[in-house]
Amino acid sequence: MGEALKYSIMDSVRSVVFKESENLEGSCTKIEGYDFNKGVNYAELIKSMVSTGFQASNLGDAIAIVNQMLDWRLSHELPTEDCSEEERDVAYRESVTCKIFLGFTSNLVSSGVRDTVRYLVQHRMVDVVVTTAGGIEEDLIKCLAPTYKGDFSLPGASLRSKGLNRIGNLLVPNDNYCKFENWIIPVFDQMYEEQINEKVLWTPSKVIARLGKEINDETSYLYWAYKNRIPVFCPGLTDGSLGDMLYFHSFKKGDPDNPDLNPGLVIDIVGDIRAMNGEAVHAGLRKTGMIILGGGLPKHHVCNANMMRNGADFAVFINTAQEFDGSDSGARPDEAVSWGKIRGGAKTVKVHCDATIAFPILVAETFAAKSKEFSQIRCQV
Amino acid sequence: MSDEEHHFESKADAGASKTFPQQAGTIRKNGYIVIKGRPCKVVEVSTSKTGKHGHAKCHFVAIDIFNGKKLEDIVPSSHNCDVPHVNRTDYQLIDISEDGFVSLLTESGNTKDDLRLPTDENLLKQVKDGFQEGKDLVVSVMSAMGEEQINAVKDVGTKN
Repeated sequence: MGEALKYSIMDSVRSVVFKESENLEGSCTKIEGYDFNKGVNYAELIKSMVSTGFQASNLGDAIAIVNQMLDWRLSHELPTEDCSEEERDVAYRESVTCKIFLGFTSNLVSSGVRDTVRYLVQHRMVDVVVTTAGGIEEDLIKCLAPTYKGDFSLPGASLRSKGLNRIGNLLVPNDNYCKFENWIIPVFDQMYEEQINEKVLWTPSKVIARLGKEINDETSYLYWAYKNRIPVFCPGLTDGSLGDMLYFHSFKKGDPDNPDLNPGLVIDIVGDIRAMNGEAVHAGLRKTGMIILGGGLPKHHVCNANMMRNGADFAVFINTAQEFDGSDSGARPDEAVSWGKIRGGAKTVKVHCDATIAFPILVAETFAAKSKEFSQIRCQV
Repeated sequence: MSDEEHHFESKADAGASKTFPQQAGTIRKNGYIVIKGRPCKVVEVSTSKTGKHGHAKCHFVAIDIFNGKKLEDIVPSSHNCDVPHVNRTDYQLIDISEDGFVSLLTESGNTKDDLRLPTDENLLKQVKDGFQEGKDLVVSVMSAMGEEQINAVKDVGTKN
């Protein structure tokens, strides 16, 4: 009796301590890093990210999801029963692609990510762009004068005395903004004349397209957005140096006591929310994908528009914001699912990484790698 | 920018000789400035150094010297502003006509009959009452940019 009891106790202890594992072989990726004995092979190194773990794996997943966005065609889905003849046409179904919304914050335009964005817009690789005021003006200012590398630890008071403004470890001289002022005020004057004489009702996206036209510089992503008719939305257009310029301009051209006679330059944000939501609502049979760098307004604006079509089908967030304070910036894609901004079955990932590192790698492995396909297929759409 | 403003002024029949240019950064409180074609007295100046907003700027709050309306302007501090020539002349009040014009005696002994009574209620009452009471009144006339207005009155002794 004593022996039997002893065994049953041992069995139950063993069953608790040595709980038998579920077999993961075949169903999960095996964790494995790059073997440098194979030599320095960047393509293989980047491909190894997905099996490396942590944010490297998230970046690998982001690359996979963006490639799914780019590869998706309507022809991959079965035609719905009530669809029209045209919709059943194979060539037509092959031509319907995923509509890509790209959002990014202004600091990234200050950084070299601007040139990655410019590449995407230049080759019509994205359909809709959303950014903040800095994301507009920094692109234009860089056409007038460069931004320089500084250091995160440079003391503010001494920089102020030297007329230098710091963005992280970047420096922008005040003089750049003076050049910007000299450039933009005559453009505003001209736009004001058109408002008065031709009854143009400006919206932020119309203003931005105009600025892209006026800057006429191939290093500018706004120039290419204007040329390729890719809308750039910026509901916070006044929150930056552009706003400062509009403020000064209002003294020149506006009279608050006499708004009927002299309204100043008027910019209609309602016109743009209609256009922005329209981009999502009128995506039609296309799927939609979101690639959002950083948080704040660009992140929410892209997600919110996609709510109008019951959510995006793909979402890639790249930012370092945290969610514990309830900010939208830090919210993972699953929070947006709860609001209907991303579909329940959507492919999503958040890469917790500085976009200056992650985004060029992402583009290298996705858009840039498929650049030939873009020149053939997507430009015809 | 300032070219257009000049353009505006000439429309309003205020020739360039009625103003002179002065650098915005040197205009101080209690000085004069033209804002939106109107001669004004500066009541507040604030400056912002060169920065993210571009060139250094002067922000002026000023009062129209004729109608008392508050006006605001922002000008790059290195730019020139128009500053009105403001003159004050004292005249003895001879008569007030029924249609609201006054008759003034100039230094040369002629009369000046093209000025209306002041619009400011207090001042108007002082002039009217004083004249009816037979007081010997001298009015101070301010002129700038082709406009003139009585802006003060003083009693220089009762008539015998």
